[in-house]
Amino acid sequence: MAEISKESHGLKDLVCPDIVSTEVDVNAPGVEMVKSLCYFCHANCGVLAYVKDGDVIKIKGDPDYSNKGGLCCRGTSALLHVNHPARVNHVLKRVGEKGEGKWEQIPYDQGIQEVADRLNQIKAESGAEAVASAGGTTRTDDFARRRFLNLFGTPNGFHNALLCWIPTFMTETCVCGWSPFETDLGAAKSLILWGMNPGASSLPSMNGYTDLKLQNGLKIIMVDPRYSETASKADLWLPLRPGSDSALALALLHTIIFEGLYDWEFVEKWCDGFDELQNRMIDYSPEWASTITWLDPDQIRQAARLYAMNKPGCIQWGCTWDQMGRASTTVAHALTLIRAICGNLDVPGGDGMPGPALNYLTDEEMELNERLPEEQKAKQIGSNKFKLTSWPGYQLISDNAKRTWGKTLPAEWFCEAHGPSVFKAILTGDPYQVRALIVNATNPINSYGDSKMTLAALKKVEFLVTVEYWITPTALMSDYVFPAAGALERPIIVTHYGATDSVMGGRRAIQPKYDRHDDFTFWRKLGIACGQDEADWPWETIEEAYSAIIEPLGLPVAGWDEFVDNFRMYYPPLHQSKFISNNGFWTPTGKIECNSTIMRQLGYDGMPSYTGTAENPEDTPELLDEYPIVLTTGGGFMPYHHSEHFNMPNIRYLYPDPYFCINPELAEKLGIEQGDWCWIETRRGRIKMRADVEPIVDPRVVMCPRGWWFPERDGSANLDNPFGCLESNVNTLTSVDDEDCDPMGGSWSNRGMLCKVYKCGDFDKEFTAEDAQFSIPSSSPEPGIHVKPSEQKLCKEKIPFEMPECTKDVPEGYYWVWQNDGIYQKGTHFKLDDSGWLIDPKTKSYIDPHTGWRYDAASECLVDDATGKMYTMEREEIVFVAGVRTYPGQAAPYAVPEQLTWDQEKGYAVLGDKPYIYDPNSGWMLDPATNAYHDAYYGWLYDAGSNCLVDEATGKRYDMSYNPIEQ
Amino acid sequence: MKHHYWEPPIALYLFLGGLAGGILFLSAIFNTFVIPGYGEIFAFPVLISLICVAIGCVFLVVDLGQPGVFWRVWTTATSIIKWGATFLVIAAVFALLYLVAYLDQAWPIFAGLSQLLLPAADFFLIVAGFFGLCIMMYTGIMLSTLKAHAFWATPALPVLFTISAISTGCAAIVLSIGGWPAQITLESLIAAALVLEILHIVDIILVVAELIVLLTMVLSFLGAGNVTAKQAATRWVKGSYALPFWVGIVFLGLLVPLMMYIGGGHSAASQIVAPVLVLCGGCLLRFMVVNTDDRAEIPGEIRYYNKAAKPDAEFVHKWEYGKNLF
Amino acid sequence: MTRYVMVIDQRRCIGCHSCTVACRVWNKLPLDIIYNPVVSEGVQGTWPNVHRNWTPLLCMHCENPECVPCCPSGASQQDEDGTVWVDPKKCLSCKVCVNACPYGMRDASHLENRMHRFVRKCTFCRDKRQLDPDAQPYCVETCHQKARIFGDLDDPNSEVSKLIGSVKTDRIFTEFGTEPQIYYIPCLGGQA
Repeated sequence: MAEISKESHGLKDLVCPDIVSTEVDVNAPGVEMVKSLCYFCHANCGVLAYVKDGDVIKIKGDPDYSNKGGLCCRGTSALLHVNHPARVNHVLKRVGEKGEGKWEQIPYDQGIQEVADRLNQIKAESGAEAVASAGGTTRTDDFARRRFLNLFGTPNGFHNALLCWIPTFMTETCVCGWSPFETDLGAAKSLILWGMNPGASSLPSMNGYTDLKLQNGLKIIMVDPRYSETASKADLWLPLRPGSDSALALALLHTIIFEGLYDWEFVEKWCDGFDELQNRMIDYSPEWASTITWLDPDQIRQAARLYAMNKPGCIQWGCTWDQMGRASTTVAHALTLIRAICGNLDVPGGDGMPGPALNYLTDEEMELNERLPEEQKAKQIGSNKFKLTSWPGYQLISDNAKRTWGKTLPAEWFCEAHGPSVFKAILTGDPYQVRALIVNATNPINSYGDSKMTLAALKKVEFLVTVEYWITPTALMSDYVFPAAGALERPIIVTHYGATDSVMGGRRAIQPKYDRHDDFTFWRKLGIACGQDEADWPWETIEEAYSAIIEPLGLPVAGWDEFVDNFRMYYPPLHQSKFISNNGFWTPTGKIECNSTIMRQLGYDGMPSYTGTAENPEDTPELLDEYPIVLTTGGGFMPYHHSEHFNMPNIRYLYPDPYFCINPELAEKLGIEQGDWCWIETRRGRIKMRADVEPIVDPRVVMCPRGWWFPERDGSANLDNPFGCLESNVNTLTSVDDEDCDPMGGSWSNRGMLCKVYKCGDFDKEFTAEDAQFSIPSSSPEPGIHVKPSEQKLCKEKIPFEMPECTKDVPEGYYWVWQNDGIYQKGTHFKLDDSGWLIDPKTKSYIDPHTGWRYDAASECLVDDATGKMYTMEREEIVFVAGVRTYPGQAAPYAVPEQLTWDQEKGYAVLGDKPYIYDPNSGWMLDPATNAYHDAYYGWLYDAGSNCLVDEATGKRYDMSYNPIEQ
Repeated sequence: MKHHYWEPPIALYLFLGGLAGGILFLSAIFNTFVIPGYGEIFAFPVLISLICVAIGCVFLVVDLGQPGVFWRVWTTATSIIKWGATFLVIAAVFALLYLVAYLDQAWPIFAGLSQLLLPAADFFLIVAGFFGLCIMMYTGIMLSTLKAHAFWATPALPVLFTISAISTGCAAIVLSIGGWPAQITLESLIAAALVLEILHIVDIILVVAELIVLLTMVLSFLGAGNVTAKQAATRWVKGSYALPFWVGIVFLGLLVPLMMYIGGGHSAASQIVAPVLVLCGGCLLRFMVVNTDDRAEIPGEIRYYNKAAKPDAEFVHKWEYGKNLF
Repeated sequence: MTRYVMVIDQRRCIGCHSCTVACRVWNKLPLDIIYNPVVSEGVQGTWPNVHRNWTPLLCMHCENPECVPCCPSGASQQDEDGTVWVDPKKCLSCKVCVNACPYGMRDASHLENRMHRFVRKCTFCRDKRQLDPDAQPYCVETCHQKARIFGDLDDPNSEVSKLIGSVKTDRIFTEFGTEPQIYYIPCLGGQA
């Protein structure tokens, strides 16, 4: 674009202005292209960064990456992000009152030391568990955080993970051994998209769906209460009542079972407990579901048939299920059973189960979980209630994964404290007082449930440290704010939370600006400042850590940057139908567990049964008089991501105010017109948003987007609502009460609540502190704490589990697994075979139980893979001379040529008194000193250059048939 | 789809340009055909027209995004704007020459110059009057060529603007004839009175004509097939513009002066109030027409721009790149 | 000869605004200037029988542009390849062209230096193409959905020629005689 020059030349400017071009020439000399990745959402699109003089001058989408050169609003704005004037560039230490916004800039290392000293003091006074850490998503390398927390000794790290994938992942893993999340759409004939909108949240995949539909005739079934960007492209759209997903999923399962649409052969061979499941599903007919879901029974049948009869098919994961509150894992459970009985698991065109990365280091191997003492694990907040996603469930699932896959899930994400319970612990001291919170890459006030309670907790917590790009409402309340390096300033590795077997990566385009640091460096420095051993942090930079992760791949690269330059991504060889070669799924029983044994062992029901959301027209009709409208929340909406990008003016300009969706029919009834500011009120408070009046939702429903705050405001001006973080924030309306949470996974209630909506009046349009006051339980009309968290019940009672008696003799150092009656070695989790050998699940090889050495069938010996040394079956080390195996003290194990003699003491054949060793594989003699070849008859040296033999004593040369060569 | 790309200065410029053109045109007609020989009585109206042109030009140039290069307006052949600027300059130059020819009556110091120019004064006014007519027509034609705007793109608009311009010119002459720098003589007083009598009748005819053209244009749009024009006309007749239209333009700007002209005789109402009302009505008309820049909506545009931020939104001005806060 | 046009596949557009932002970012536009809005009337119909279309807009680079002959200073002009653009140095910002455009695709920013405003409009990324003749406009390059296709209509082998020759395309406001050169492939289905 040509522009009038901003440089002033006085009067001449006025009459004849200079013109400059704003276009950046990436082909100019001195411009280097760096392969980077976008870091603004989970899609992590490929980015090419053009760097000149240490600064990025331009970026564009990588045409050779999955995004095919495309970049969305957020990715495109990366340069505006990295140079944004409101970015935190230095360590900010609070000098005023909490929230006053008065800061002193201090050097990074000084900040680290001050924080470390305070954390150590709190640990000494109250135990390590008094320090907790909240995390965000896709901005960080959380293996480093877990490494720090484990070494520090606290189990109380958490993310918003319970709203995003983790309860689903754990449920699916209980049923079939891993999450079947890698859809093979290219070969699929049908696809269910359930409450996900890649049209707004993940553009590269949306492009794929549109292509597959236009070109392959892929049938897309969309389940969404909102007519979304994606629903507009679907073949069948089920606009169900928000929060009734569990009923729909169960009715689909019912239909598939009772219409006989499932894969009989697969169920017969691979599923365990199908009859029990069939009995359980009898009542969940489409007619039953129809009143709950507001769908026509025939629509439900049609969807079931479309999916089950167009095989293979996929069900794409979407985080809706994880945000239902009570009903979360029910939906995930039913859907994974649908996949399973239709035979769509781990097959071409179905839902792939990658398993952990066997070829490079998983996040779990970077976490040092073994360093966290058992008694500290037991103190994890929420683990006594929501067991599936915390230490009790993780331990069972992880041990099983080690027994079946040989590796396991990371503890980060998959084994965490219950975030809202930590905030409640800060407020109530129950189960114990949490005194310090390290917040990294998240703004919990906006992202976690029940914002008013979260805000109260963040105001109250004794010591708050935030690692951030911006002064968010959370950062404003902090004692220290650490500047974080973002996209382009750090390398990026994509392993899908350490839950898959492929890896993709991008390089750091520029060194972090100002005093910004990546989070790995933050945790490493903090760990060492807290007194952790530097040997536990062997990598100085994040690139070194990444290099260590990919090193086992054995690629010919010298480090991370070279990996990105030359490979950029690694996919293991195609890995479908692994359950056939593995002869079983990766569950404790080796079958698809229709009645999950792990769930039962944890005290839960092993099969899904209907659970409604916390508030809904069927189960809580008494609320309908006051709150007649169904409210659903969340839903990504372009151009924002979670609570981010509200401070990017270019983006904000297109969408400056929060809008909620309301059907024209309802709007007319309520006297609401397009653009009107309205109050949306639940039992827990009210927020205001502007009305987007269009038939995009049912007339009985409103939908509110998430994340809103107003970074342009003066945060300190109103500490009841800093940066407007409550007034249009839908999490002010959500509930994190224990009984509203999922009893297994702990995810809280974001979807399918009841509300009322009315226009802001002339005298009732300002948000005040009274509009959102925190209370425990959150539905209490009076503010304050009315019940201790430990007194709060779950929505379902635990079912006592009695483990069967062990009938086997379990040797010392081994344990028994009740599900398969197998005996496994502690530590390694290798199965003890009837033959007395251990079996390594990764390689299926036999392992010597006494030494841990692998049996190598080809050379009939034992191999210690750690050192590469080989041992005889008698566990004696095998000596190699010049690479030739020796047999000292034995008779010759091979035929010794006539002119050689067997030297029993040395264990190899020799030629006279020459120092050479005979190699039976090649038939040559080797000189251990030079590794040179000599013939086995005269001992002459082989000269490869002229392909002849040389008698070193005389210098005479011979051809290969011992004929002298005349010079 | 309304956008108001042109702001009040342009509406004012169109009004003042038309007014100046009207004054010059009528002055030339009277001086040449009706009462030749009393040129000095038109000196003040011509001065007023010059002031109008000056103010109009200032508004025009100030409204430009790059006032410093305004001269580039004369660098192309096709643009109608160029013709407007040209007409303005020629009319202004000849009007100035005409004025200077009579300036000695007030300031004897100009005697020499005035004596020099006086013989050609009538010619100067004829030229100025001709280009005055061009200006009047130009203001309407310029808008009517912008066919993206349904309310402007009608042949009725140049007619309306021309009649309105003559009418306002008429009113301005009524208010100013015979003023400074003319030396009042009995003869000139009689001549001025005669002009006033005739202008009285002329303005009655003009106001009636303007009323007819205006109502024809607006009401025919109301029944038109063009959705955009219809929407705009609806706004004028019974929407948000109805009050200024019916009360401001039609009643106060046209009907009331008409009645005063007809029934007021030589009263102050007829000679002062009515012309002032005509001038105000003419000005209001320009504002309303310029503001009625409705363009056919590309489906969804209005919804889009209503949602988008306004340039004065807080976040637009909060951060300035290069000025780091933390 | 070369005649640049754009084909917009409304079947693929999902209204993500990436093109709008990419254009604003890389053309360094003032905040109040939007060259290529993606507009929609919203969801239409009666729940649940509803549908929605997105219409990505930009300058139509008309064959008979209204905005070029009306320009008094010669700033608003058209290249031989059809690109309509404004030379900032020559522009007075009299806004005649802005009012002349039936598509509302031009404006001067209100956020800029009062003495240095000029009329801005989409130029099919003329400057970018001058640096690299094969370059695509930013809005095309950034589109994940490949809903915007740019190319030479006079080249019978170009993707745009093939599409225009084989698929039914619409143009906006042909009644003005401007011969707009943005071709829309309408989304006829869209109903779930």
